[in-house]
Formats: sequence, C-alpha cells, structure tokens
Amino acid sequence: MKTILPLIIVFCCGFYMLATFFIPARFSQTSSQTLQNWYLGVMAFFVFIGIFNLIKINVDKIQRKLRDWQYSIILLTFLGVMLGAGFIGGRDSKVFLYLFENFQVPLGATMFSLLAFFVASASFRAFRAKTPEATLLLIAAVIVMIGRIPIGYLIWHKFPDLVEWIMQVPNTAAKRGILFGIDLGLISMALRVLLGIERSYMGGER
Amino acid sequence: MRVFDYLSHLDRRIIFLLVALAVVIPMLVPLNLPVDITGPVKNVYDKIESLPEGSVVLISTDYDPGSEAELYPATEAIIEHCFRKNLRIYMMGLWPAGSELGNMALNKIAQSYNKKYGKDYINVGYRPGGQVMLLSLGRNFGDVIKVDYQGIPIDSLPLGGGVKSARDISLVITFSAGDPGILHWITYFHARYGVPICGATTAIMAPQMYPYLSSGQLTGLLGGLKGAAEYETLVDKKGRGLRGMDSQSIVHLLLVGFIALGNVILVYQRRRG
Amino acid sequence: MINTIGIWVAALLTLAIYSFLYKDNAFYKIAENIFVGVSAGYWAVVLWYDFAWPNLFEPLLTRGQWYNIFPIFIGVLMFAPLIPKISWMIRIPLTFTMGVAMAVSITQFVQGDIFPQLQATFLPLSGVSLFKGFSNLLIILGVVFTLIYFYFSKEHKGVLGIGAKIGIWFMMVSFGASFGYTIMARVSLFIGRIYFLLHHWLGVI
Repeated sequence: MKTILPLIIVFCCGFYMLATFFIPARFSQTSSQTLQNWYLGVMAFFVFIGIFNLIKINVDKIQRKLRDWQYSIILLTFLGVMLGAGFIGGRDSKVFLYLFENFQVPLGATMFSLLAFFVASASFRAFRAKTPEATLLLIAAVIVMIGRIPIGYLIWHKFPDLVEWIMQVPNTAAKRGILFGIDLGLISMALRVLLGIERSYMGGER
Repeated sequence: MRVFDYLSHLDRRIIFLLVALAVVIPMLVPLNLPVDITGPVKNVYDKIESLPEGSVVLISTDYDPGSEAELYPATEAIIEHCFRKNLRIYMMGLWPAGSELGNMALNKIAQSYNKKYGKDYINVGYRPGGQVMLLSLGRNFGDVIKVDYQGIPIDSLPLGGGVKSARDISLVITFSAGDPGILHWITYFHARYGVPICGATTAIMAPQMYPYLSSGQLTGLLGGLKGAAEYETLVDKKGRGLRGMDSQSIVHLLLVGFIALGNVILVYQRRRG
Repeated sequence: MINTIGIWVAALLTLAIYSFLYKDNAFYKIAENIFVGVSAGYWAVVLWYDFAWPNLFEPLLTRGQWYNIFPIFIGVLMFAPLIPKISWMIRIPLTFTMGVAMAVSITQFVQGDIFPQLQATFLPLSGVSLFKGFSNLLIILGVVFTLIYFYFSKEHKGVLGIGAKIGIWFMMVSFGASFGYTIMARVSLFIGRIYFLLHHWLGVI
C-alpha cells in the first residue's frame, strides 16, 4: 500500500496527461485542465512545508542550544515581522513593501555580488592553461570578455562581430548538442518515473 | 624571480581591493564609452517597434534581488519603450520577488507617462507552478488568474477582463534569472501557443539562449547588464546599464590581466621545475 | 525621513555582507539570517495573497466550489511526516505532482525543444554566401561532433575518437564563452551595489 498506491498515482496521472495531449475531445481537455489546476494548488503547499520546516529547524536549534543558536532568534524574529506585516497590513501595505525594499532587496543583491570577488580571485589563482583544451577555453573567454565591453569596440571595431560569430556558430553548435543530450535524458528519466522504475524522489521506507 | 614568488602567494584581499577600485573609480570619473548595438538586442527593439498601438504585451519578471542589478535596468528600459509606443502591459512573475521588483519599475514609469492602472497596465503578481501553469495560462487566463496583486477581481479591470487566452497577447517579454523562466516560456508557452517571445536574461544564461535565437523560437535577447546598456542606448535613456559600462570595461581588463599574469606565473613555475 | 532611514539600513546591511570579504564575522551572520527570515516571510505572504487564497481557499469557502477540497487535501498530506503512523502519505502529493509534471515535460520537450532545434540544425550550405555557408557547415558539424562525444556506448577510438575530440574543441569554445559571460554577470552584480552605495546612500554620483 505504502509503495503500490503512490506508484499507481504517478502511473495513472502521468499516462492520462500524456493521453490527453493526443485526444482533442472536450472531456479530455477539461479533465486535463482540472488535473493541472490541482497540480498548481498542491504546489503551494510545497512552499508552506518549506517554511514550516525552516521554523521547526530553527526552533529546535534554539531549544537545544546548538552552535550559533542566537542567530536563529534573529531569523525567526524577522520571519515573524514579515509574516505579521504581510498578513495584518496586507500584501501591498507600506510596512511590508518597506521591509522588502530596504531589507530583502539589498541583502539579496549583495549576497550574490560577493561572487564577483571570488571570480576575480579564481581568475588569478586557478584559471591556468595547463592543456590545449584549457588554452582554447581561456582564449575564447578572453575574446568574449574584451569583445563584449565598450572598450573592445574601441580596440578593434570588428571585435563585437567576432564575439557574435563565436556565440552564433561554435557556441550554438555545442550548446545545441548538449541540449539534445539533456532533453533525451530528461525524457528517459520522465518515462522511468512514470513507469515506477525510478523511485528515489519518493524517499526511503518510513 | 622573487616578484613571481610573491605574486603566487598574494593575499586575495588585495585582489578584492583592486576589483573594488576598478568599479568605484570609473563611477566617480566616468569615461562615457560608446556602446555598440548587437543583433539580438536590436531584434527586441524592432519587435516592440513593430507592434500596433494598444497591443497587449505580457511582461514576466522571473528574477529575484540576486539578479536585480542585471535585469532591473532592462526592465525599466523595456517598460519605458512599451509605454512610449502606447502598448498595454500585463505583468506577472514566475518568481515571488520578481513580481514586486517588476511592480516597482512599472509604477515608477507609468506615472511619468500618465498611464492608468487597470486600463493601460496591470500586475497580477506571483504565479507559481512553472511549466504546468504556463500551459494552463495560455489556454485560459481565468483558470490561473483570479485577482491582481492588490486582490482586485481580474475581470473587473478593463485590461484584465480583455485578456482571456494566449490569442490576446501580442508578445511575451520575460526577464529571467533561472528556473522557472525563459526556457519554460519558450518550450511550453511559445511551442504550444505560438506567441513570440523576447527575453532579457542574466549574462550567465545568455550563451545557452543562442540555439533558440538561431531556431527563431526566441525573437530577441538582452544579455546581462551590457544588453540593458544597449537597449538604453536605443531608447535614449541614461540608466543604470549605461552608467555601469565604464566600470564593467575596466574590471574586465583587470581580470584579463589577472588571467594573463596567472598563466605567466604558471610558465615560470614550470620552467623552475 | 523614513526613506532616509531605509536607505541607511540598506547600506549598513550591504556593508555587513561585504565585511565577509575581510573575515567571517558576527555582522555578516546577522545580516545573512535577517535575509533568510525576510525572504521566507515574503514568499509565504505573496504566495497566500496572489495564489492560495484567491485560487484555492476563497472559492471553496465563499463560492461553494467544493472540488477545491481535493488539491487542498493532497497538499495537506505534505505535512504527513509529522505523524509517524501516516508519514508514508507524503508520497501521494509527491507522486501526483511528479506524474503531472513529467507527462507535461515529455510532450513539450519533444514539441518545444527537440523538433525545433533539429529543424534549425538543417541549414543551407548552398545558395548563401561563402562565409554563411561555412558557418552553417560548422554548426552542423559542431552539433554532430558534440553528440558523438556524449555517445559512451562505444569506446572513443578511431573515427569515433577523432569525432569526440573535435566535439570537445567545440565545447571548449562554448564553455569559454559561457565563462566570459559568467564573469560579466558577477561583475555586474557588484556594479549594481556600488551604484546604490555611491548614488542612493552617499549621493556622490
């Protein structure tokens, strides 16, 4: 029951949805639409369970006084403030939007901008042309890096055209080949999931 | 040589400092370097130019604050162009923060063009569900969208009530930082319903978009901050894209220098054995 | 006044994150945890107002659309692990969503990716300029050689080995281009933050 029922669900839902793609009849399209709407509804709960888990893990951390538990208090406080601002004031309330603009946006933007420094450090320490293939990679990278900036155009007015050719020809060719490989792999994985051969997403025995 | 020995053990904080200076100095002392226009960006511009007045453009802001620096300038430039052409904007976001970031740009620019919410533009907020949502959306907007981001019933708004399915959309423009995003719009929405797609993506995603540009599934593309700068040049707007190009140029030269220096050190170390 | 406070808060949080570049420290950890808390709260609120309430709960509670109980029930089963006896029931929403998503993906990957990309690979070699013909030939060969590289059912020897080697060259050029763009992306993010600090916070530009 614990394994059979879920496998029946994935098989039936999956192959029914596949069948409706080929059957234009009204009943087929309506039922397919209903299943898609249910899918959207269920997806919302994935986010809710994620947030529930976040709260549970941090409360547990505080209760058991694990390492850096003090920071969990800060996390839960701001989570509570945001939830309070949103659910009491409303989605477009001034407080909620103020917190979004002055906390979430700068923090999110700054977190990812740290990578600029690490990429610079890596370009000095790690990007070495040790093999002919690596040399080709670095040459292409340097051409793109210079050709895609305004100074590249000033150095040689054909630089941007050269970069565009690299993007449209060898880059497109390789990316397309990789795309075929990925798509065929994903289709085969999808069929394995629908047929119940691939079950890792279901988790282990509970 | 001692200098190479020293450089091979250089404290990375010195590298960080050099990068910071390479960004800050050109901002304080602008070089005003001219920006060349590439084909994919021009295609986006031409496509918007070709739309008749009153056409509905669906703008999907599929990014978060982590990609705001690259995509927000492009969002502003394209919204400005759409309003200048008197196109109507139907905004949504496949990412939760994207809908709000798009809203910020939309409200700011709509004010300067005296556009009316509900008639000239609307924002329906965050739409979860990725590929399945897009398939449902194209068939019947009403199945997926009941209210706008303020909770107003969508059918009570002139623009909201007027868009029933993909047939009512002339163009989709997606500002995309990952998954779900532009690939879903191309593979699901465009493939099933045939609506042309233009995109602005982070520079990381831009190379993998070229097969779709080549096949015609993607009409045009703005790649990263440079793409935004090119579009600002086309619409004659001095925005953050253009402001950033001087710093971008100097940092790129600095990093090319780092790569070259690193490889010179490699050759030196190999010769030394 | 309130906007000025907001800008100062944003600037100080930005500098707190950047302090990590010198050394990991308490200011960075505080800012990091604020970010996680605020982001999670934001996502929950937006999801509820933009989707969950108007699409799921409101039609059920106020307009009598009783069939909405099915997706809500399946979704609530995501919380099944809290009760050990019925923890296995979490598999029901997982398999339901996987079934629908996988089926949709199969058809759309073929219709939306494979067929159009295959079609786009059949490029003209004559009736176009010499340079265009050469570029088209390179694209066709590049796709073929890249696919040859990923064919692992036979050892890469002889003709297959040469094809795989050429495929690697094409991929190296492509990865080099991606690497160049990645650097561009990372640097752009930092430029955005510096613009905020210099323009909005300090007002020097």
